[in-house]
Amino acid sequence: MGTYLLRKIFAANIHDEIAGDLQEIFLERVAAKNKTYASFKYMIDVLLSTRNYYLRRRKNIYTRSQTAMIKNYFKITLRTISKNKVYSALNIMGLALGISAFIFILQYVSYENSYDKFHSNHEDLYRIRYKVYQGEELRIDCAAAVPRVGPFMKEKMPEVIEYARAYPLGGVMSKDNIKFREDRIHLADPSLLKIFDFPLLYGDAGSALIEPNQVVISEEMAKKYFGMSDAVGEQLTFNSWLDLNLVVTGVAKDVPNNSHFKFDFLISYQTLNNQTTDEDGIVASETAWGWYDFNSYVLLEKGTDAIAFDKKFDEILFEERREAFEKGGRRAEFPLQAITDIHLYSNLLQESEPEEQGDGEAVFFLSIVAFLILVIAWVNYINLSTARSVERAKEVGVRKTMGAYRKQLIHQFLTEAIVLNFISLIIGLTIVVLGIRFFNQLTDSALSLSFLASAQFWLVAIAVFILGSTLSGIYPAFVLSSFKPSSILKGKFSGNGAGTLLRKVLVIFQFAASVSLITGTIIVSQQLVHMKNIKLGFNLSNTLVIKGPSVFGADSLFTSTFDAFRGKLLKNTEVESVTGSSNVPGAEIFWTNGIKRHEETDDKRRTIYIAAVDYEYFPTYDIELIAGRNYDKSFSTDTGALILNKAAVEFLNYASPEEAINKKVTFRGQPKTIVGVVDDYKQMSVKSDVAPIAFPLVLENRRYFTLKLKTNNYQETFEFSQATYDQFFPGNPFDYFVLDDYFNRQYKNEEKFSSVFILFAAFAIIVACLGLFGLSSFSALQRTKEIGIRKTLGANMSSIVFILTKEFVILIGIANIIAWPVIYLVMNGWLDNFATRISIGLPVFLLAGGLVIIIALLTVGYKTVVTAKSNPIEALRYE
Amino acid sequence: MKGTNLGEFEELVLLTVAALGTEAYAVSVKAHIAEQSNRHVNISAIHSSLYRLEDKGFLTSKFGGSTSKRGGKQKRYFQVTSAGFSMLQQSKDLKQQLWNTIPQLSFHSA
Repeated sequence: MGTYLLRKIFAANIHDEIAGDLQEIFLERVAAKNKTYASFKYMIDVLLSTRNYYLRRRKNIYTRSQTAMIKNYFKITLRTISKNKVYSALNIMGLALGISAFIFILQYVSYENSYDKFHSNHEDLYRIRYKVYQGEELRIDCAAAVPRVGPFMKEKMPEVIEYARAYPLGGVMSKDNIKFREDRIHLADPSLLKIFDFPLLYGDAGSALIEPNQVVISEEMAKKYFGMSDAVGEQLTFNSWLDLNLVVTGVAKDVPNNSHFKFDFLISYQTLNNQTTDEDGIVASETAWGWYDFNSYVLLEKGTDAIAFDKKFDEILFEERREAFEKGGRRAEFPLQAITDIHLYSNLLQESEPEEQGDGEAVFFLSIVAFLILVIAWVNYINLSTARSVERAKEVGVRKTMGAYRKQLIHQFLTEAIVLNFISLIIGLTIVVLGIRFFNQLTDSALSLSFLASAQFWLVAIAVFILGSTLSGIYPAFVLSSFKPSSILKGKFSGNGAGTLLRKVLVIFQFAASVSLITGTIIVSQQLVHMKNIKLGFNLSNTLVIKGPSVFGADSLFTSTFDAFRGKLLKNTEVESVTGSSNVPGAEIFWTNGIKRHEETDDKRRTIYIAAVDYEYFPTYDIELIAGRNYDKSFSTDTGALILNKAAVEFLNYASPEEAINKKVTFRGQPKTIVGVVDDYKQMSVKSDVAPIAFPLVLENRRYFTLKLKTNNYQETFEFSQATYDQFFPGNPFDYFVLDDYFNRQYKNEEKFSSVFILFAAFAIIVACLGLFGLSSFSALQRTKEIGIRKTLGANMSSIVFILTKEFVILIGIANIIAWPVIYLVMNGWLDNFATRISIGLPVFLLAGGLVIIIALLTVGYKTVVTAKSNPIEALRYE
Repeated sequence: MKGTNLGEFEELVLLTVAALGTEAYAVSVKAHIAEQSNRHVNISAIHSSLYRLEDKGFLTSKFGGSTSKRGGKQKRYFQVTSAGFSMLQQSKDLKQQLWNTIPQLSFHSA
């Protein structure tokens, strides 16, 4: 490469000797240092040698004029830019906006695609999913599998190099007086540190999680609890349903943001095994085939085909589990899922970070939007250049008569395109650098400017620059250079039909893209509003939720303590009611168990979600009972009663909620009588259909305490309830959230998506309007004389404005008609992802179309009105 | 033309060529300058100066032996012409003359 350049740089008669010199120095450097260094220096030498381009060059007239011409091209370009400041500014602004939008989206998209790619084994790492079929019906589709499947897979499948399980857990960590509730805790196999790239800063990964009660913590946690990074050997106490004294055996580097699996604490898996061993020595957390809370990962041999693997494993599994499957009338599958697909293409139960799950489709849409904006900007350039062809035609005619070759004219116009694109690239980059914080804020993402240092980025930027210069430059270059000087200079030339047609097509394309984006934006925001307005079936206003205590002396005392706590809270006039439950609306339920109608055989047992409630739960949340009654303290038999939701009634095949009342079921192996049915309120999520849930009466619920307040005066109640909480449950951190904030975090993804969409739709429209402004003012300018004549003949202003805008309105109309079916199909596909969705009606399209026409008219209007108002004398006096 | 004046770097190169006698070609000039003045100049700068000095008539050149180290490419050896020597002499005289006009006491004042 360097040698090739050298040949280009130096005149042939001195090339050899100089090449010899460089080679000699190169070999000396190889000897002194190494080859890379020498090559690098060689390249520098070559590049610096460009200064000797003129050295001893034969005074060749052709080559001399070539360089002179290049200078001339630049000179003319700068003159053209400064002569037509408005058009140049429009061009540059449009391109710069297009480029910056493209870069923003590119960064966003590449970040979303970067999830879990930092693991060096990422191509061969898979998560084991868990699917359960009852007959042909898919009953469970879960991200977390059962504890037995990982080891089993390794035993039976030679392709499996290693497996790792992680059981998520939340609870209170404490070190002396430092106490926090932590959620990112996992009980994990030692192999987890081996198959994933979670490097330890301190401690030995090989031995860190072998013994029970060992814990690996993140660096952030080490600083939080111990005030230093090297916390190996320190002690921590953990309280949840497990009470543990832990020894820190490793400090891991903080998990990167683009990991689907995040942890602050990894407790050794053996700790769990010790807890789940029964009297016969059977360890549930090693042998269970039905306990699906374990995120299980496998590392396969390089290049293993996951689909073939699934098939093979299915057969082996069926062999092993045939009896159990046949007895339960159900069948389980454990398909593999590439870990790089988890962030964008997975939406299962029990995802590790459900709120963070991305949407592959949305990311794909955005890539398209990015490209659209860029193309719109290029189209602007082409449009403006061809529109100005009449003006430039004279220049071309003069140049040609003076002896310019066509090739030189093409070079001239290409140079202009390159210069403008280059300036735009610089401005675009500046916009990105200045705007990145604003963009992050708006889209709630964490892009950094570090991409400016990556070669990949510059490659793309250069590709965009070259592609842009060529695409936008080549058409004007060829068209403008083809004009015949004789006809131009005689004044016969008046624009060409093909150019006008192309311009129209391009304008139609631009506005079709804009209309699509606006329609898309409207639909996305409508869906968002729709989701927020879904009848939730419960009332989440003025509700404060306190996380219950993990540290509590004796379970038997809990109920009475809670009653006293409740009594004290209710004394405050702000507090309307207090309830304890195992779950609150908006939180995913992880607790399931078997249920069947009493008369049915055991194989009809189905898995149902469980949310334990007390007497106050349904009244506190304003949840309506559509049949039967709530649990009642006056019925002593309510320990044998059960409330279901409507979905569960259908699940158990009762004809109606009324019919289900007083029917007997077997729930968790106990006989129960259905006393009430609640409506299908959105207990878990607004995005999915309501799952069947059983609400057993459990008085010692301590996971969540819900306080219903009379007003939304959280501040006052907050202090009071904190004091009360500390009084009754000392040693527990006071963690709380306001329910509507908590519930609304489910919309985070859609909100983010819609704000990104709106932002870039606005970009696209601005860019398109810049182009339209240029075009319209130009056509108004061209028709100055025509308008002058019309005015002298008595045309009034409105008819002139009408004439000038008619063309654009027609074009935009056509653009609308093209865009509508496309956007309908695309958005319909997107909406199908939601359990409850809006339907797309004509008004949306009319609104978007109207909006675009109004914006376009406003853009066109200014110049048009100025032209229409102008005094005809001015227009006609000319010449 | 800019005339026949010598630039500072050109003078340095010219002197170096003179000092190297018959062994002056681009690489050796670069090495010598580096050694004598601790100035690490890029080879391309040496090339510009050498060829420009030849164009001005201060140097002549002839092709010399090629080594395998150079990929079989010939060296161009430079030698100072009499015009080159007189130019160097003039430049030295000029400087000497200027030196002589500096008041003596300025040496002692710091």
